[in-house]
Amino acid sequence: MEGFLIFAISILTLAFVYVILCLALNIECGVAGMWDLGIVSYFGVGAYSYAIIVAPEAASYQHYLFGLESNPIYGIVLAIILGGVSAYLIGLPSLRLRREYFLITTIAFSEVLRITFSNENWLTNGVAGIYNIEQPLKSYFSPDNYIVLLFVIFLCFSVIVYKMVNKLSFSTYGLSLKALRENEALAKTARIEPSKQYHSVYVFTGCLAGFSGALYVWLNTLIVPTQFTPNVTFFVWTALIIGGIGNNRGAFLGAIFFVILLETLSFLNLSAELALVVSSLRIALVGLALILILRYLPNGLLREKPTVL
Amino acid sequence: MDIFIYGLVTGSILLICALGFSMTLKTEGFINVAHGQMLMLGAYFTLGLTYIGLPFLIAAFLSVLLCGVTGLAFQRILFKPIKSNGILVQLFTSVGLAYLINGLVGAIAGKRMLSFDIPISRVVKVGDVYLVTPYEFMILGIVLATVIFLHIFLQYTIMGKHIRAVADNQDLAKIRGINPDRCSDLVWFIASSLAGLGGIFLGILGAVHLNMGWQQIVMILSVTVLGGLGSIYGVMLAGLLLGFAMEFGLLFVSSNYRTAIAFGVIILVLVIRPEGLQSLWQSKGRET
Repeated sequence: MEGFLIFAISILTLAFVYVILCLALNIECGVAGMWDLGIVSYFGVGAYSYAIIVAPEAASYQHYLFGLESNPIYGIVLAIILGGVSAYLIGLPSLRLRREYFLITTIAFSEVLRITFSNENWLTNGVAGIYNIEQPLKSYFSPDNYIVLLFVIFLCFSVIVYKMVNKLSFSTYGLSLKALRENEALAKTARIEPSKQYHSVYVFTGCLAGFSGALYVWLNTLIVPTQFTPNVTFFVWTALIIGGIGNNRGAFLGAIFFVILLETLSFLNLSAELALVVSSLRIALVGLALILILRYLPNGLLREKPTVL
Repeated sequence: MDIFIYGLVTGSILLICALGFSMTLKTEGFINVAHGQMLMLGAYFTLGLTYIGLPFLIAAFLSVLLCGVTGLAFQRILFKPIKSNGILVQLFTSVGLAYLINGLVGAIAGKRMLSFDIPISRVVKVGDVYLVTPYEFMILGIVLATVIFLHIFLQYTIMGKHIRAVADNQDLAKIRGINPDRCSDLVWFIASSLAGLGGIFLGILGAVHLNMGWQQIVMILSVTVLGGLGSIYGVMLAGLLLGFAMEFGLLFVSSNYRTAIAFGVIILVLVIRPEGLQSLWQSKGRET
């Protein structure tokens, strides 16, 4: 296959991982209106759960728990479950807080988790990370075909998640979340219980983020703690804002637009020195795009659709 | 004893970094994520100015001013036009700005770790106790002077009173003939210069690198929330408290967990007292 095509396909495959993360953030922050800057926590938990299930047993110079080399499906299921569980646990103290206070607690938890990942060597092999995690089904296909297969699988996953999130945000449940977002006191009078609704949507977000974490490791075949800095959170938020917060289609498009924006420049064939400069410039480009979009399209590319019953 | 001193130094740097952030939060009402990048900018400005041959102290002084002017420019060009669009738009404009600054500095200065070209200093020994290096001593002095200056400025000058009035209630302040735009300009200038100063301190004690802004902004956020959003004195207390907590915590856990201790403290305090330290001396909680 041609180089450019392979490149485009692998960029889009990565974008689909972000799509799932972005949709998860959208139902939590766009629909329910919570200010969560800690989505990377569950992304990381999911990624590590998948990694320690699927990775082969630790070699003598490595340390990590399990290394069961077992079926990736178990890895994905565990990632979803543990993503949800960690969201449930983190939600217990932090959901008592609102807005800025909630924001800071979630970001603090995500940093504590990242620091734990990089220091608890027995569990995660520390800063060295875990490498060569085998990709499921890889042996049955030629490398070129496998890239296409991965593209199709991830596309299906993200479309399924999109359908699910979309269905949920227009269900009675989704409407109750929107009611809470618009006016919590009024929503209470309609027998909507804030703490229950917030906690459940938080766990749901955790499950989805855990799932996308597992896919992320599947795609990358390696995992290191530096992949899970608050930067990921800001990236996903940026993608969501670009696409249009509150709009699921916007979240989908925003994630793809964002990844393309971020990765396109890396296709240019450059000398090592120039490549460093360009890699910095593309961060600047993302910043500029965000500023301009917020200035001229404050609602993002697609604005939230008004809910009609 | 040395733990006490380290805590004091760590705490006062945190305090300087968070003060400016807290001032913009109070008057402008949004979380300025680009503040962390202003720290980095201060350090890199100093680096650039010493590179072209200026002595370190002059370069540092000039870069603090430069940071202030840059912050003022950002306020005029970026933040003033979108003020009416709500907190989230302003917040994410500042995220965009943070990426922009970070990317541009990275493209110009490269991604290597750098450090200031200042002589290595030895710890001053008093009696049998090792105290601080002259640099740390100087930093403590400057921080103390800045805090006193800021206190006098906000409490006793006309401009300071205007700023506090705008922060409390912008509409009422307007009715009294106070120009909120001028106050905003001034706050941005002061906040950004304080950020520049904090960045230079960080550079003196550690290294100058591209990620320092991102690392610090999370700490700054924590300090600010711990102090009670936008409360200047709460922030001062919170900065020192976190500084001590980080250094004393090292007695119990390994140094890799230094920042984790700080976040643990934040989570604990917020769960017990969601209004932050400010609520210790202000009994009535205010809706944000």
